[in-house]
Amino acid sequence: MEIFFDREALALAWPAVRSGIAVTLQLALASIAAGVALGFALAVVRALGGRWGRVASPAIVAYADAFRAIPPLVLLVVIYFAAPFAGFELSGFLASFAALVLVLGASAEEIFWAGITAVERGQWEAALSTGLSRRTTLFRVVLPQAVLLTVPPLTNRAIATGKNTALASVVAVPEVLNQATSIQAQTASPAPLLLAAGVYVALFLPLVRIGRWLETRTPTGAGGRSTALSRTH
Amino acid sequence: MTDRTLRRPVLEFEGVGKRFGSIPALDGVDLAIREGELVALIGPSGSGKSTLLRCANRLAVPDVGTVRFEGREVPGGGAELAGVRRRMGMVFQAFNLYPHLSALENAALAPRRAAGWSAERARLAAREALERVGLADRLDARPDQLSGGQQQRVAIARALALAPRILLLDEPTSALDPELVGSVLGVIRSLADDGVAMLIATHEIGFAREAADRIVFLDAGSVVESGPPGRILERPETERLRTFLKRL
Repeated sequence: MEIFFDREALALAWPAVRSGIAVTLQLALASIAAGVALGFALAVVRALGGRWGRVASPAIVAYADAFRAIPPLVLLVVIYFAAPFAGFELSGFLASFAALVLVLGASAEEIFWAGITAVERGQWEAALSTGLSRRTTLFRVVLPQAVLLTVPPLTNRAIATGKNTALASVVAVPEVLNQATSIQAQTASPAPLLLAAGVYVALFLPLVRIGRWLETRTPTGAGGRSTALSRTH
Repeated sequence: MTDRTLRRPVLEFEGVGKRFGSIPALDGVDLAIREGELVALIGPSGSGKSTLLRCANRLAVPDVGTVRFEGREVPGGGAELAGVRRRMGMVFQAFNLYPHLSALENAALAPRRAAGWSAERARLAAREALERVGLADRLDARPDQLSGGQQQRVAIARALALAPRILLLDEPTSALDPELVGSVLGVIRSLADDGVAMLIATHEIGFAREAADRIVFLDAGSVVESGPPGRILERPETERLRTFLKRL
């Protein structure tokens, strides 16, 4: 028991881990914001169709499939260690940010796309029949309904992205896990690792709880699902 | 009747045909709707009534033939098509109201965002349209707070808000409980009295008899018979129409 809660090691580890929390949070928030924005933008391009959309759609689908298939850790080490060969160097933080954004962007694009396609075709037809453009229809009619459907799955992907910031420890980003492992190496005690685990739970448990709460709520006013049933005979 | 036949056509179909795969949905339809005229499309399910309406504003694109609106061919797309669509209102069987917007916002969206009117002018037009369908007291209600009949009347107001030259109504009462049908038909009748041109696909033969200037019987994608309600319903000339009317 004592070995797990080695006071000396914990005292040494806490300042380091505390400084790692700021790095973890920065990396998590920046990656989540940029990844969701990337996914949203790609889904919008895909949904708008038109000349641009038709050219871009297959590329967007290929990207979304590839980056949902690749393990984030593999992507991270490829970006970090391959970048110098491509003639530029990325800091560990930027390489981690890029990897997390690319992975989250792929999932977020699919989530937004699924939300858009879940909105009944009749909504598009009604809006287009009044002379609204595809773009206005998407932004004023379809997305307000689609976005409600995307919140629970996006919350889950955001949590996954937050947890995946721990991968940045392999490219020497001084985030929570990286700080804990270096103190652990100095002290030969597992206590700093336990501390790190506790910190992760404290950071992400609130998000997990929010995700659970969102999933139990049924979205009202989204796609008129409840009324669609009562409407058809 | 006679004076209406002298008026200019608002909407004309000329040899319009469309297939879905190997199934012909429309097969060389010729039809004109004149200013102020109410034309009822009747026929069995799958006879092409819906497809014909959707070919008018290019929600469905005809394979062959021409559709003309106010004498000019309906454009294939872009801002020109949007301009034509603004002047053709459409009402759907399933209402298709925007569930996240109030009745007023449903009717004001196209005036504001398609026609580019000021917010104030768009709201005024929406309010007037909702008053016209008898919903002046439900402006702020969301669709899910309204009965089916009220929802369809909001949908009619949405189609009316841009003062269209013609209304296309695709079985507007088919999704309604029987006791709610009357209020929607009443609104349509009052619009007809105001001289709004309408092409309406319907199974309400009683309504067609009493309110339509002309009934068009569509079967297997073709116009089989067309004429004044009295003649079409009392003295059908073809076996197909006789059989259809007998089954009602």
